[in-house]
Amino acid sequence: MMKPGKRGRAPGAALVLPAITILAYLVIIGPIAIVVIAAFSPTEFFVFPPPGLSLRWFVEFFRLDNMRSAFALSLELALSAASLATILASMAALALVRRRGALAGVLQGLFLAPLVFPTIILGLALLLFYKTVGVGILPGLVLAHVLVGTPYCFRSVLTSLQSFDFTLEEAGQSLGAGPFRTFFLVTLPVIWPGVVSGWFFAFIVSFGELNTALFLTGPGETTLPIEIFSYLQFQGSQLVIAAASALQVGLILVLILAIERLVGLARLARS
Amino acid sequence: MDVCLAGVRKSYGAVLAVRDLDLAIARGVFFSLLGPSGCGKTTTLRLIAGFELPSAGTVRIRGRDVTAVPPYRRDFSMVFQSFALFPHLSVADNVAFGLRMRRIGRAERALRVAEALRLVKLDGFAERYPKQLSGGQQQRVALARAIIVRPAVLLLDEPLGALDKALREEMQVELRQLQRTLGITTVFVTHDQEEALTLSDEVAVMRDGVIEQRGAPRTLYERPATEFVAGFLGASNFFDASVLAPDLVAIGPVRLPLAVPAPVGAALRLAVRPEKVRLAAAGGDGLPARIREIVYRGATTQIFLDSPCGPISAYIQNASPETAAWTIGDEVACAWAPESAVVLHSTPSRHKDTEQEARAEGE
Amino acid sequence: MRKLAGLALLLPPLLVFLGFFVGPLLYLFYVSLHASSQSELYGAGFTAANYAAILTDPFYRRILERTLATTLEILGLSLVIGYAAAFTIAGLPPRRRLFCLVLLLFPLMVSNVVRAYGWVALLGRRGVLSTALRDAGIIDRPLTILYTTDAVVIGLLTILLPYMIISIANALASIDRAYGEAAQALGAGPVRRFLHVTLPLSSPGIASGMLLVFLLTLSAYVTVTLLGGPQSKMLVSLVYDGVVAFDWPRAAALAFTLLAAALLAAAIILAALRPRRVAGRG
Repeated sequence: MMKPGKRGRAPGAALVLPAITILAYLVIIGPIAIVVIAAFSPTEFFVFPPPGLSLRWFVEFFRLDNMRSAFALSLELALSAASLATILASMAALALVRRRGALAGVLQGLFLAPLVFPTIILGLALLLFYKTVGVGILPGLVLAHVLVGTPYCFRSVLTSLQSFDFTLEEAGQSLGAGPFRTFFLVTLPVIWPGVVSGWFFAFIVSFGELNTALFLTGPGETTLPIEIFSYLQFQGSQLVIAAASALQVGLILVLILAIERLVGLARLARS
Repeated sequence: MDVCLAGVRKSYGAVLAVRDLDLAIARGVFFSLLGPSGCGKTTTLRLIAGFELPSAGTVRIRGRDVTAVPPYRRDFSMVFQSFALFPHLSVADNVAFGLRMRRIGRAERALRVAEALRLVKLDGFAERYPKQLSGGQQQRVALARAIIVRPAVLLLDEPLGALDKALREEMQVELRQLQRTLGITTVFVTHDQEEALTLSDEVAVMRDGVIEQRGAPRTLYERPATEFVAGFLGASNFFDASVLAPDLVAIGPVRLPLAVPAPVGAALRLAVRPEKVRLAAAGGDGLPARIREIVYRGATTQIFLDSPCGPISAYIQNASPETAAWTIGDEVACAWAPESAVVLHSTPSRHKDTEQEARAEGE
Repeated sequence: MRKLAGLALLLPPLLVFLGFFVGPLLYLFYVSLHASSQSELYGAGFTAANYAAILTDPFYRRILERTLATTLEILGLSLVIGYAAAFTIAGLPPRRRLFCLVLLLFPLMVSNVVRAYGWVALLGRRGVLSTALRDAGIIDRPLTILYTTDAVVIGLLTILLPYMIISIANALASIDRAYGEAAQALGAGPVRRFLHVTLPLSSPGIASGMLLVFLLTLSAYVTVTLLGGPQSKMLVSLVYDGVVAFDWPRAAALAFTLLAAALLAAAIILAALRPRRVAGRG
């Protein structure tokens, strides 16, 4: 790429562009930082800068039954949806990676569609469908989260498979390994980083999913993001919400580190 | 016969990659499939392995019909062009893979892995990973992984193609020695004619999905059956000749004796190797020609000539340190021993014919 | 054999997507073509009345127009700011570039409700900004920006900006620098080099960034609700209101109006930028 080095730059750009960039990062990350800071407030209402630090809102969070159960449900949902999505997406990616032609393109588009498809419409469609067919709240939520998470896994596994040397599978077969043993002893270990990061992405997406869950949760069976949303909407801004949000942010940070460690370690083993 | 293909055909849509191939390879033979890219040699190898299924015909390994048997139940192993070492497994685990698939116990596995690694001179590398090895070492691991299972047939898909020239020549010798020691029937695919000649007991030259000629390296080189074989295996000069008497042909203005009798009046195509062409001063016996270019090549000097019968190329051994006796523009006469002129067939012959011919000539 | 194995692998994910994605959407469309019903999910007989109502009713018209105006505002701002930031990031050394991009990926993983909440805490009448500005004596009355379309624009802009920056930065970083050098050798100065070489070559990134921002703006119910309040409803709010009112056909028709708007916008963006002329894949 043509490096926008200082020499080639239009006059003035040298100052304006970095300023805009820093501002952009501030407004992107600032709101999240504010929420995390607010979560540690010792006061009843949020004042900035906070007069001290306290964990009282986290304690309060786990004391509230509905918050605690929403947190648990979100975790269970994310675990099961991410696992199912990873399995489905890996199957799809394996089936499609070496297919060319229009049909393969359409199918790839289908598995990637929830990435850009307005998920609120998907939520509405699923709600109506569930009402007609009779699907329970929990399986309904799992399915919705699987749909939303699959594209991330699909993309991640497909990328791994695209750089996978398929003669390795032939080598496995030439040494007497049948299709299943070849997959589990050769293919899977090699594409493992893609599968793992796909799972983590699906987990994170499911854990923060709003638009489909909006329609599909029910009384007593609510996910954490929806619980936060209804608190904000109907009970106003309370600091226990900040604690809930901070927990979410913290979990995501932990997961990012885990991805880095796990996939990094897997890469290390391969080199 | 360890490998036997009968009437094997492979088509991809309208394209015929292999046409009605009959091929039998005896036990312990190092057999090369040689040809330009797209000639069907790799497809043939993959048909033996079972990675491709024939559109027609049968494949047998050690007499067992394996046409419908998946690769993992066939008695063969293979060294791939890219080596295809499992990146997530150590050298020892790579080599042991085939034994594990055959459910061979840990103790025997360890023994055989150590032995295989010793055979390919990689003792002490067991715990390394493929990425930590050089190209030549990876090649040896791939070879060890393939021979450890003691297959009926060892398939080699251009295994030396990824190595640089010096290493390739070294590996050729080692490969040949190893194959002799173990006595494994080996099918080797290559586009490198020198490699095929160096390594093989038998070579089959393929073109357009058909074996043009099959035989020992010397037979193929000295008695090429077709113009394609004569041109693909080394270089050749080609001449049109008409038979004047059973032992005499006319090439352009000159008459030359013929080693193999031919019917009078027939039109022949002859091939003469450049190193068999002798140059004499103009007026001597042979085809008159004029030297167009002289290229010094170290061991030999290549001389390009123009004759009434077309361009001629000749190699002169640089036996003495003096410069060659010829200069550009010299008029000379090109001659060769009668038995050096090979009569070519216009169509590919079956390999049996060539073998008979060779035997008849006392090769 | 291999074909069969491929089919066996493809079938489960395909069935899930057909059964729970394509199927329900077709059903939703089917429902949108019916009248509302008090007792059933939808009334008997086909009708296009729902769509006609959306396009003619002045109430819907006003919200449609507001949605469009807000979306365009977000799109324009995110393009300008996003391009500037992406240009800066793409010029960094690889390691720092990667760090900057990961720093942008992290907010994308945080739920939008959390990020919107952050803006509520910042922009509210007793929020951080209001208090700070009053303490500094710059304003004497609380900020009234929350629950306006401006708050929606600020919130969505910042929530979606990372998509735009990442798309464009990746496109910029993948441009072979030889093109720029060639342009320089041919006598193009920095400005013309940017306009005639860099900008067109980055069009795939611009297109995918704009598509993402547009599509995600249209369906950002939670952000619109939390930051816009009842006064700044968008098309997506109406879909939700339809569900709350148990008016399934109306909600369905609104959803497909939203989808139509999204597809139309996607077509316009792709037609205008023609990213495929530069890159094989958009």
